[in-house]
Amino acid sequence: MALRRMFCLLTGSILLFASSAAWSAEIHGRSSTQFLWFNNVFTEKKQAEFGEYLNLSVTNIDKDNKLSFQGYGRFTQDVRNGEGLNGRLYYLYGDYSNLFDKVDIRLGRQFVNYAAGSALIDGGKVDLKNVGPVGFSVMGGRNVIFDLDGEATRSHDFAFGAAAYLAGVKSVDAELSYFMKFDKDGLARDQLGASAKWYLLNSVKVYGNTRFDLPSETFSEVLAGIKYFPTSDLILTGEWYQSYPTFDSTSIFAVFAVNRYQEGVFRVDYTINDKIAVNAGYSREDFETDSADVFEVGCRIRPIEQVLLNLNYDRRKGYGGSLNGGIAELTYEPIKPLELAAGIHFDVFERDRVTGEETARKYWLGAKYKLAKNMTASVRIEDDVNARFKSDWQGRAVFNYDF
Amino acid sequence: MKKIFFIVALLGCALVYLQQQSYAEKTPHKEYSGMAIKDCNSCHKSEGVAPNHDSDWVRGHWVVAAKANAKCKECHQQSWCLDCHKGGGTGDDLAKENFGRDYKPKSHRSDFISLHPLKAKDNPQQCYRCHDQKAFCNSCHSRFPAGSLHIKSHLMLGPNNQRYSFAIGEHSIEARRNLQSCAACHPEGDVCIQCHSSGKVRPHPRNWKSGNLKDRSSGKVCLKCHLPGTF
Repeated sequence: MALRRMFCLLTGSILLFASSAAWSAEIHGRSSTQFLWFNNVFTEKKQAEFGEYLNLSVTNIDKDNKLSFQGYGRFTQDVRNGEGLNGRLYYLYGDYSNLFDKVDIRLGRQFVNYAAGSALIDGGKVDLKNVGPVGFSVMGGRNVIFDLDGEATRSHDFAFGAAAYLAGVKSVDAELSYFMKFDKDGLARDQLGASAKWYLLNSVKVYGNTRFDLPSETFSEVLAGIKYFPTSDLILTGEWYQSYPTFDSTSIFAVFAVNRYQEGVFRVDYTINDKIAVNAGYSREDFETDSADVFEVGCRIRPIEQVLLNLNYDRRKGYGGSLNGGIAELTYEPIKPLELAAGIHFDVFERDRVTGEETARKYWLGAKYKLAKNMTASVRIEDDVNARFKSDWQGRAVFNYDF
Repeated sequence: MKKIFFIVALLGCALVYLQQQSYAEKTPHKEYSGMAIKDCNSCHKSEGVAPNHDSDWVRGHWVVAAKANAKCKECHQQSWCLDCHKGGGTGDDLAKENFGRDYKPKSHRSDFISLHPLKAKDNPQQCYRCHDQKAFCNSCHSRFPAGSLHIKSHLMLGPNNQRYSFAIGEHSIEARRNLQSCAACHPEGDVCIQCHSSGKVRPHPRNWKSGNLKDRSSGKVCLKCHLPGTF
């Protein structure tokens, strides 16, 4: 049913856009035709599918270019295991901006993000701006939920929200917002959110973000951070974060007591020159009755213009298990239209005493060729070697056409 | 509730005060969308604005993006966000992996199916920024036969894993630390209320606001353990 609705929506949009093209609208986008082969983790069978990913943008519909349409979705057809047709509509909305130079209206399926909460909705969002240093935004509609294979939205799933934000103070950004979500059993979520950032002394950024859960009357998330950037190449970051995980009010898990989680982060990101950039970080995780330490180092090396090497190493130790591993990735452009790439992931980890230590490796190779200014073809293959598979090949072949 | 009204009133006053302040137009970024990041950063620095899109960007971008008037849309389409948050992907970036039909962000490294219990403990809220707890986690976890997952708090205490005594003591510690993992396999909490509904073990936190919850779900959640009229 959902798939049929999606077909209708996309077909209708294409017809609408095609007819609108008659009066000089510009239609741009990308058609990505893909062949994918991967391991279906549930059936433990290799699956092979053809897919069509379509990203569409229609602009210049009206004289002042205030109206536009954006859409993005995919269809896949399994050709091996009889899984059939699958589809997902990520977004499809019409945008009318600068109505009376003060109002932006967006209608359709869209992703909305406030400090208090985010949702993919089938509905509308209206922004009121240029009315002083404070702007306003409201949104609401059907709350779209994806599961592993498709849409899991039920008939009573809705999301609404409102936000007021600072728009006219040069060195300060702030937002105060409210988000609510309904499901079949009632009001599942209602929370306040706030975010703020402040630039000062030409080299410091102070920022924070919080969510206050109204049913439990607790701050479910609080983040406070500071960035010091003496030059544009060196950034020092310090953050403190805490959370009390909260659940939907309609879930039985909302009645249980939980521990406070806290995290302290310190990071350094330094671009030494055009050829080398390095970063290092340390996080201390506190679970009230236990803790963990996470270390991370990485570098980005560009010895010559055509070559880029990315290296990352992570070490985690403490509650929840240990991880010791890294990622190495290399990109090489021997000639302008051709890009070659390869990478290795290597992780040694232990989840708990039963699983013991496991090793996971991933090797991948890829190549991309620019056939024309608006056409590329690429192939990416990878082999996963881990506790579950001695060898598991999967990949994709892609033909992209930009119009 | 009084506390909330006080906070809202205080913030309201602050907004009114700021409304009276001088109005400064924010810089539109659409015309800079094709620029190299290093050029953006040198301009940012000279304006006293922190450079962004650095190597810490993937971890920290949610703070910048979680704002009603975020500038992301001036350079990126929504597909840029949703390829990682909701799936999709047109295969342009060779380093990006697929999990079946959808892109898999780099935070989901190596054998992520085996590794995700560990990564999910790093920050209990993190998974839910992209995945719906009931629809996503449970659609996979529900396919495993009961008892087939090796979870520390579910281990038997008897010799040779005899099925006569669960590690009851440890489950509460684990549940308090990461209740989301319990919900991933027991979305309706049926296993939990077998004991907790008896009244012997109070599961609620201190300062429990039962009225708030009762109002929002018309008491449906409360009725799972309590008799009508007793809560």
